[in-house]
Amino acid sequence: MSVQPALIAKDVDAAETLEGKGPRRKSQYREKGIVGRSSWSLTILLILCAVTVIIPLYVTVSMAFKTQGQAVDGNAFSLPAPFSVDGFVTAWNLTDYPTAFLVSILITAGTVAGTIILGALASFAISRNWDRRLFRWSFYYLLAAMFLPFPVVALPQIQLTGLVGLDNPVGVTFLHIMFQLSFSILLFTAFLRSIPAELEESARIDGATTWQTFWRLIFPLLAPMSATVGIFAFLASWNDFMMPSLITSDPALQTLPVVQSIFQSQFSNNYHVSFASYLMAMAPAIIVYLFTQRWVMEGVTQGAVKG
Amino acid sequence: MPRHPRRTARVLAASLGLLMIGSTLVGCAEGSGPERVNFHLSKSEAIPFFNEVISEYNASQDDVEVVLDSSSNLQAGFLRGNPPDLGLLNYNMEMARFMERGALSDLSDMPEADRILPEVQELVDQYANYPGRTSVLPYSVMAASVIYNKKIFEEQGLEVPQTYDELIAVCDQLTEAGITPFYGTFKDPWTVAQGWFDYTVGGQVDVAGFYDEMNDLGTEVGPDSPVSFEKTLAEPVETMQVLIDSYTNPDAASKGYGDGNLAFAKGEAAMYLQGPWALGEIAKTDPDLDLGTFPLPMTDDPNDLKVRVNIDLAAWIPEASESKEGAREFLSYLFDQDLMDEYNASQLGYGTTVDAAPVTDPRILGMKEFYDNAEFYQGASKAIPLTIPTENYTQGIALGGGVESALRRLDGDWARLALRQ
Repeated sequence: MSVQPALIAKDVDAAETLEGKGPRRKSQYREKGIVGRSSWSLTILLILCAVTVIIPLYVTVSMAFKTQGQAVDGNAFSLPAPFSVDGFVTAWNLTDYPTAFLVSILITAGTVAGTIILGALASFAISRNWDRRLFRWSFYYLLAAMFLPFPVVALPQIQLTGLVGLDNPVGVTFLHIMFQLSFSILLFTAFLRSIPAELEESARIDGATTWQTFWRLIFPLLAPMSATVGIFAFLASWNDFMMPSLITSDPALQTLPVVQSIFQSQFSNNYHVSFASYLMAMAPAIIVYLFTQRWVMEGVTQGAVKG
Repeated sequence: MPRHPRRTARVLAASLGLLMIGSTLVGCAEGSGPERVNFHLSKSEAIPFFNEVISEYNASQDDVEVVLDSSSNLQAGFLRGNPPDLGLLNYNMEMARFMERGALSDLSDMPEADRILPEVQELVDQYANYPGRTSVLPYSVMAASVIYNKKIFEEQGLEVPQTYDELIAVCDQLTEAGITPFYGTFKDPWTVAQGWFDYTVGGQVDVAGFYDEMNDLGTEVGPDSPVSFEKTLAEPVETMQVLIDSYTNPDAASKGYGDGNLAFAKGEAAMYLQGPWALGEIAKTDPDLDLGTFPLPMTDDPNDLKVRVNIDLAAWIPEASESKEGAREFLSYLFDQDLMDEYNASQLGYGTTVDAAPVTDPRILGMKEFYDNAEFYQGASKAIPLTIPTENYTQGIALGGGVESALRRLDGDWARLALRQ
């Protein structure tokens, strides 16, 4: 989880700078007077960064379209010849792909929505009551959860969710929200501190209640940070293997990453099937990123500057 | 998005609500109709076969509905108290722990239990047992030994070696002809433990007897105990290191299981220490390759030859299952002799019952007489709990590490683990 934010930030920078769209960053360099000389070395560095993403992606795509014989021939970089969609067909037949996909989507949607709403509400309460001890401590309490990895609490959570009938995707969604909350509150509170109190006061003078102030004024202002929080929550939830695998008891309601684990075992490799399946699972994440990268970028820089 | 806070909030709330309704509805779907049996099967190669069996079975009657479960986590299921109703999977130390604690129900009253070959049923007991119960019924056994390239052997005029000296002679002749005798894949530690360690130890030592004594000794295992890894296994493991040093491909340290299958399929070596699971992988590259198998000779007695076996699939029904009756019915269906034979033929396994059809695949025919005469052992590396990183120790030896120090460390680990338990 902690790796993904860093990766995203890097991607955005790379794409941005290569296309020459990064005015803020460039101007910083220009001020220091190093942009003219270092642009080539910087470009090469960024190309190298981009390559670390593009090459695995290329292997995934080309592997997915290979035949079984070609997939195990040891040449990962070769183009598929002959072109085959066998992998996709087998992957589709071996698993109940549509159900797993739907479960993954529902869990992820629930996690994203829950994390944003709960995170924003909690952060609003905390940052506006910072002078009160209870709120300050609850902030530290929530943050402390960041230092608690899931495997440590896995066994009691399996038992607890089983006891209360949450050994299903709903339980996984709740746990995803809980584990995502601390990081999101950290981002939200940092952002909220930068919103001037005068804005809220003016809303109060116009007669707005706290609830109205939040939904009409603060929540819209939080939008860039909500996007960032939402994207982190999306990635963490969509890619998670361990929690759904342990918490969900009904195999028919498993998520994509867990269902896909059958394609590779110790004794046999079905690279073309696995990669076809991974590609189908990756597609939504890539599409979401394509449409939201502007927000990711804004969110990351806003958080970084103001935080 | 920022302009319509209410709408956004509503959309978010609605999606959360939908999620909850969706999961409740799924909950409603259960509970009525035929008895549902969750059938756990994690062997991915076997899924298409059993998918067909399940759909035939479900269509044939209305009382039981079998659902294939290939992804649930067993430990979590047992912990939560709702494990799968019927399991059919690899039987090993880890599975034995459930049995030892009485988590698996008694199947001894089933007619299927009487059909299992006694020497195969004994393999189950070698790991652990629960007094008065037959908790696990073996379904398929994999026999593993040296896979050899028949064409290379024929071209070089070589016979299958029956003694250790003959093996060395075969290796020397191959080396002289410029052919790599053994293909090593030491990058994957499990291949060292499964092949090199288990075959050399199993060829010289009575594995089951050795571990009986080791388990009795427990914390006493050490430099002064009557048996120990350092004392009992020193000779075979030193032989293993000699074979690896002299007769494997020079780049073995950087090759993994996948590389090995590919290279062996291309005829880059004459022999390969792998089980029948590798044959299917090799066939992906060259389906017509003429291969055979023979037990690795480790002594000078041509009659002292044994093959390594493991219980590839074994069936069990947990005590905690709520559909024991349905699970038992489906278990009987699975243990139909024709179905078992068909499965074993397709996965190159050996039958576990008295009336099993003999194996016919030429690739594994070389092990038939040893299996039929019960001249087999379970891998020595598999009798050590996973808490001890045996595979990595054997990899260290394969890469040139000290035999004595590695085995002494195993002794120490064994004694410490016995103290903890």
